[in-house]
This record gives sequence, C-alpha cells and structure tokens, in this order.
Amino acid sequence: MREEKKLTLWERYLTKEIGIEFKACLYFFAILFFVCVFRMINGTFSVSIAHMAEMIFTCYIIGYMQVFLFGNFDEADTLGLREYAGVTVCTLLYCGVSVLGGWLDRKVLATLIFAAYILLTYVCVILIYRSKRRIDDKKLNEELKLFQTEHKKSE
Amino acid sequence: MKIDIQKIAGGEESIVIRYIEPNPVVERVVELLSNKERKLWGKTSEGNECISLDDVLFLESVDDRVFAYTKEKVLQIDGSLNSFTADICDECFFRCSKSMVININKVVSLKSLSSNRIDATMDGGEHIMISRRYASEFRRLLKGDR
Repeated sequence: MREEKKLTLWERYLTKEIGIEFKACLYFFAILFFVCVFRMINGTFSVSIAHMAEMIFTCYIIGYMQVFLFGNFDEADTLGLREYAGVTVCTLLYCGVSVLGGWLDRKVLATLIFAAYILLTYVCVILIYRSKRRIDDKKLNEELKLFQTEHKKSE
Repeated sequence: MKIDIQKIAGGEESIVIRYIEPNPVVERVVELLSNKERKLWGKTSEGNECISLDDVLFLESVDDRVFAYTKEKVLQIDGSLNSFTADICDECFFRCSKSMVININKVVSLKSLSSNRIDATMDGGEHIMISRRYASEFRRLLKGDR
C-alpha cells in the first residue's frame, strides 16, 4: 500500500469554504430570479444593486449556518429533526431579511409565495444531491468490480 | 533465539534454520522465505493462530492494539496499522480512516454519502465508513490513477 497523501488544514478549510460559496451563489441566483420575476410582474424592469448585495451576503451567512449549525441539510443523506429545523429556520431568515430589505416591497402575499419558493428550492436541491449520489453509487460499484476483477487476474 | 548473520564474498546466498521443535516463529520465517500463500499471524483466546491475508475483511486499531477481522475470527496482531500497511505492500489493503484498514477485495458494495464520504459494505455485512480524508484517494485507487 502506498503512502497516503493527507489533506492539510488549509486544504480542508478551502474545501468547506468553496462549498459554502457554491451554496451562496446557487441560492443567490434562485432568489434573484424570484425577485426579478416579482418586479417584472409589477411593471419594473430593474433591481437595486443594494438589494443584490443584501441577497448575496444573506445567502453567504445562511450558507455558514446551514453547514455549521444545521448539518448541511441540503446535502444530507437522511432528513431528521435537525435538518427540518434547518429548512424552517433558513426559510424564515430569508423571508425576514426580504421584509427588512424590502426586496418584495414588504407585500405579505409575495413574502408567503417567496417562503414557498425557498422551500421548493431546498426540496429540489436535496433531490438533486440525492440523485447525484445515486449515480455516484453506480459508478463507484462499477469501478469496485473492475478493480476486484483486475486484482484477481494479477494474483 | 540466536540470530547469526554472515557476509560472504561470493557463491550462492543461503539461509539455514535450526530448531529443536517446530514452532510458530519458525513456521512464519519458513513461509516468508518460501513465498507461499500470504499469511497473518495473531493471537486469539485459544492461542496463536494464522490466517490467510485474503480472508481478512478489515483491520481495526483499538487502544493501541490492532485486530484483524475475518468472517469467523478476530485476531490481535503485533504492530500498528502503519507497520501492517508498510509490510503488506498491497493495494487491496486500504487505510480508510485513522483506525481502520479494509481489504477492498472483501467489499461487497459501496454507497456514496454526503460530504464525500463512502460507506463500504463488507463480505460479513459490516458497514465501514471511508472518511472524507481518505475517500478521494480511494476513488483514485479504484480508477487506477494512484
């Protein structure tokens, strides 16, 4: 067996940080899309840069919460109490910030639809990660069988 | 046991083993030299035993002691996981976490988990976690990229 190449602390931090930034980008674009559609329906064809800055910072901070407080629930293998709590708290936080920042002009109905939209986004992301892992399972098992066959041949 | 090593200027290299009664140490040396089936020696509650390396499912380090697990037996072996992997020099034995080494040939199926971890189901039904730290190396090994 060859010497293992261990990840350094910096590499491990970077891996986690990239994961959080990826999440922030993903949810930022999902929220931006919703806000753009909302504004278009209301006859406005522009979005405030300040709102966009608020969105990306919110997504980034909530991304940290998702990873460090709620067990990275959108990538979780199984959904438990902690994960459901995470989905609820993060959705409420997004809605709270949207009201404070006036992203949706503080309209109650729009905020409720926004909450449903965030929940739907989380469900979609959870399902996407799940199907990604299923595909990965197949690939891993194929490679395992190949490895075992080749090793038995060489013995 | 006395060990007598002599350097010779020429001729064929040879090893002479002198014993009074056959014993595990002598058998182990003979097997090692004759390059027979790879075996692993260890202690069980019934005394010293030897198993084929191919039967080992995984090795686990618990409180500075290393145990080798087969379907039927658990043996306590000398040394550490590091010394085992260094001595064996076999890609089939993979260090999958700080305290475990698995025999890849005894893995029945793999399951991808979140955070890039892998769950390996062994021949005996045990589930062993390949930690995130070792999972990338494991994937490379399976692909033959290592």
